[in-house]
Amino acid sequence: MEKKIIFGNREAISLLLIFMCNQLFLSFPRNMAESAGNAGWILTIYITVISLVLFLIISRLYKNFEGKDILDVAEFLGGNIGRILVGIIYVIDYVVIISVILREYGEDLKIISLVQSPISFVLALFAIGMVFGAFFGLEPLVRLGAISVPVIFLGFLITVVGSIKYFNFSNILPIFGTGLVEILIEGPSRTSVFSGLTSLFLIAPFLRSHDNFKKSGFIGLILSGLILTVGNLVYSLVLPYPSTTSNFLPIYQLSRLIEYGRFFQRIESIFVLVWSMTALIYLSAGLFFSAYIYKKTFKLEYHRPLIIPFGIIIFTLSLIPKSLMETMFIDNSIIRKYAWTVTFGLTLVLLILASIKIKVKEGRHKDEK
Amino acid sequence: MADFKNILKYLFLYHEPDIQEEFILKEKESEKAGKEKTSERRKEISEDKQKTDNKSKTSKESHESKLISKNLTDNIEYLKKVYSIPTNGDIVLREFEIVAKDKTIPACIIFYDGMTDRTIIDLAILQPLMLLSNLEVKDKGKELLEYISKHLLVHNQIQITQNMGKVIEDINYGGCGVFIDGIDAAFACDVKGWEHRGVDKPETESVVRGPQEGFTETLRTNTALVRKILKDEELVVEDVSVGKRSKTPCSILYIKDIVNDSLVEEVRRRLKGIKVDYIFDTGELEQYLEDNPFMTTPQIIATERPDRVANALTEGKVAVVMSGSPFALVMPTTNIDLLQSAEDTYLRFPYVNLIRIVRMVAIFVSLLLPGLYVAITNFHHEMIPTDLLLAIEASREKVPFPSVVEILIMEFAFELIVEAGIRRPGQLGPTLGIIGALILGQAAVAANIVSPILIIIVAVTGIGSFSIPNFGLGLSFRLLRFIFIFLASVAGFLGISLGLFMYGIWSCSVKSFGVPFMAPTGPKTYSNFLEQFVRSPIWKKEKRPDYLNVKKVHKQAKISRQWSQDNKKKDKQQKYEIQK
Repeated sequence: MEKKIIFGNREAISLLLIFMCNQLFLSFPRNMAESAGNAGWILTIYITVISLVLFLIISRLYKNFEGKDILDVAEFLGGNIGRILVGIIYVIDYVVIISVILREYGEDLKIISLVQSPISFVLALFAIGMVFGAFFGLEPLVRLGAISVPVIFLGFLITVVGSIKYFNFSNILPIFGTGLVEILIEGPSRTSVFSGLTSLFLIAPFLRSHDNFKKSGFIGLILSGLILTVGNLVYSLVLPYPSTTSNFLPIYQLSRLIEYGRFFQRIESIFVLVWSMTALIYLSAGLFFSAYIYKKTFKLEYHRPLIIPFGIIIFTLSLIPKSLMETMFIDNSIIRKYAWTVTFGLTLVLLILASIKIKVKEGRHKDEK
Repeated sequence: MADFKNILKYLFLYHEPDIQEEFILKEKESEKAGKEKTSERRKEISEDKQKTDNKSKTSKESHESKLISKNLTDNIEYLKKVYSIPTNGDIVLREFEIVAKDKTIPACIIFYDGMTDRTIIDLAILQPLMLLSNLEVKDKGKELLEYISKHLLVHNQIQITQNMGKVIEDINYGGCGVFIDGIDAAFACDVKGWEHRGVDKPETESVVRGPQEGFTETLRTNTALVRKILKDEELVVEDVSVGKRSKTPCSILYIKDIVNDSLVEEVRRRLKGIKVDYIFDTGELEQYLEDNPFMTTPQIIATERPDRVANALTEGKVAVVMSGSPFALVMPTTNIDLLQSAEDTYLRFPYVNLIRIVRMVAIFVSLLLPGLYVAITNFHHEMIPTDLLLAIEASREKVPFPSVVEILIMEFAFELIVEAGIRRPGQLGPTLGIIGALILGQAAVAANIVSPILIIIVAVTGIGSFSIPNFGLGLSFRLLRFIFIFLASVAGFLGISLGLFMYGIWSCSVKSFGVPFMAPTGPKTYSNFLEQFVRSPIWKKEKRPDYLNVKKVHKQAKISRQWSQDNKKKDKQQKYEIQK
C-alpha cells in the first residue's frame, strides 16, 4: 500500500502557482503581446476573471464530490469506461504539455548559458531531475514547492523592481492594444493559460475538505493572475510594441537590463538558478501526475514503476520538434489555445452531468420512499 | 677430523630445510568440506551458523534460565565454567565462611578486579559477613536469607535473585555476587568502581556564555548531569539495554507530562529492536536508529552538552544516553536544529541573529562556493564584472590545469590537512599548520599549480565548513561539495540547481522519528515558525514547536515579564493619585 498523502493550503497554492506561473519565464508575455499588442496585461486580467468565474462554477458543482478527484467523478458518471476515457485524455494532456515545456526550458537554457552543449544533453539533465523528483512522490515535491516559491517570487520581484527605471508609460498606449474586440474574442480560448488548474482537480482528495479545495483554487488563481499581469505589464512598459513580439525570453530580457551600480551588472545568471529550479519542480510534478493518473485510470497498485517509462516517453516526445520556433508554435498556437477544453470544458461537462445524475438518483430515492 | 667431515657433509649434502612453525588460522572443518561444491558449502555454512547460533543461544539462554542451586559447590563449579577460572585473570572468586552461633556456613563472593570498588567490598560486604559471628541462624534457608540481607549486608544497593543470569549480568557490569551455602538465591551488590574520566569541558561544542560541563563516559553521571539542570520530578530516566552480548545500558530521557507518548514508544521500540552482539558508542547507536541511513545529513543530534539535552527535553523531545559514550542523542531532529548551537538561547537576541546569518552564509559557502567557481569560470563568464573576470583570468594564465582539476587538487589537499590534523593533534599540530599553509598554499601558487584566487576560495570554504555548529552536518557538506563541483563542471548553474533540487527533494521526503525533516518550512507548521530562523526576544517564545505534538503547548505565560505590567500599573496608580 502506498501511504496516504495529505497537505495544507500553502503547499497546494504553491503547487498551483508553479503550474500556472512557470510560463511567465517562458514565452507567455510575448504570446500575449502577439495576441493583443500593448494590451497583453489587460488580456491577462480578462482571462483571469473568466477563469475565476469558471472556477466558481466548478467549485460549486464540486461540493457534491468532496474528497474525490476528477477521475472518481468520471467513474461515478460513466463507470469504468468513463474513468478510462477521462484518464486517457488527462494523461495525453499532461504528457504533451510537459514534453513541450521540457523542450522549451531546455532550448532557452541552451541559448542563455549552455551554448555549446547539444540540446539532448540539456534535456537529459532536466529529464534526470524530473524522474528523480517524481520518484519521491508528490509530498516532497509540494513541500519543496512551498519552500522555493518565495525564493522564486523574490527573483521575479528583483526583476520587476530593477526594471522600474526603464518604464515608459507611452509604451502601453494605445491602452487597448490591437483592439478591444480582439481581446474579447481571443480571451476565452486564452484561458488555456490556466491549464495547470487541472492539477487541483487531481489533488482534491489530498486537501482534506472542500473548503480547502475552494480556497486553494481561488487564491492560486488570483495570485497567478496577479503575477502574470504584473509580468506582462512590466514587459509592455519597458519595451515598445514591435519589439515585445520579437523576444523569445521576455522576463530574461528584462533581467538583463538590471544594473545596480558598476559591480552588479549581470544579475541574470542567478536567474538561471531560479529558473531551472522552477522548471524542475514543475516537470517533476507533471511527470508524477502523468504516472499517477495512469495508475488510477487502470487501477494499478503502484505508480512508481511507471515513472521511468513515462519519463522516457516525455523525453523522446520533447526531441521531436525540429527547433525552438516549432516548439514555441506548438505551445502558443495549439496548447495555449485548446488546453481549456480539458481544463474547463471537460471538467464542467463532467461535473454538470454528474450533478444531474445525483439529482436524478435523489429523486428516485424520494419516489421510492 | 670428525669436525672437518661434518663441515664437508654440511657443505655438499642436501639438507631438508628446517621446519619453521608458522601460525595459520585454519579454516573450520565444515567450511573445508563445503568448498568442493558451492551449494553444499552454502548449506553447510548455514547449518553451521545455525549450530553456532544455537550454541551461543543455549549458553546465553542457559544463564538466563538457570536457577541458583542450594549447594554452594554446584554454584562455584558453574561460575568457574562460565568465567573460565583460572584462565581469566581479572575475575576474583573468594571463598569464605560465615560463622554462626553453632555452625559455620560456607559462602563465596565473585567480582571483577578493577571494575569494582575494593573498599566497599571489604567494609560493606566481607567484614560484616565474616566477623559478625553472633548469628541467630535457624534451620530454614529463607530466614537466613532475610537475616543476612536485613542485618548483615550493610551495603545500600543489594538485589536478591534466584536467577543466575541476573547475577552474571550484574557482575559483568561491575557488581559482585555473594553466594551462601544452603540458600537457593544470591545477592547481587552494586559496587561499581572503575576508573573513569571526570566531568570536563565539552570539547566539540564550546560556548562563551553558558554552562561549561560536558558529558562523560559514565551513564549515571550523565543522567545526573541532566537531572541536576532540570530539577523536575516529571523527568523520567528509563533504562534499556542494547546489544545481545554486551547488554550496554542506555537510558531514555523525557519529561513525562510534556512529551508525546507515541514518540517515547517509538524510541523504545527502535532501541529494543536492535539485534546486534556488541555496541559501544552512541555513534553506532545513531546509525541503528536513524530513519534514512543513505541520506548524508544527520537525522539525530549528538551532543556533549547536558544543558542542550535539557533544553531539548523541555521542548518535548526525547534523549538517549549510553554507558561508555560522552555524546547523548536527541530526537527527533529537524534541519533547523542542526544549525543552532547551545549558545543561541543564552545570548541576547540581536547577537544571535547576527551569528545565525553568519552561519547561513557559512553553509552556503561551504556547500556551493567551489561549485560556483567552477560554473562561473567554465560556463558563465558574463556573470562576473569585467575587472574581476580579468583578474581571475590573469591569475589563471600560467596554471596548466582546467579549473575543475585545479579545485579538486586543492580540495583534496585541504581534506588531507583536516584528516591529518585530527589524527595527529598535540605537538605535531603546528608542524602540520606550517606544512598546510606554506607548502600547500604559498608554494602551490608559486609553482603555478593553482591560482591565488583558488586558494582564497578553498580557504573560505574550509572556514565555512567549520563554522557549521553540527559536526555531522559539516561533514555532510564537505562530502556534498565534491558532488556540486562535479555537477557544476558538467552543466554550470543548471548542474548546481539540479543538485540543489535533488538534495531538496530528498530532504523533504525524509522524516526523523515521524517528524518531517524540513519542518517547520516544508510542511509549514504554525507556532514558532519565524523563531526557527531568526531569534525573537526570549519572552516571545511562548509555545513549543508545533510539529512535536506535545501535551503542553505553552512553555511560558503570554506576558512572561510580568513585572513590566506591574510597573505600568504602578505608574497609572501614581498618575491617578497625582491627579487626585
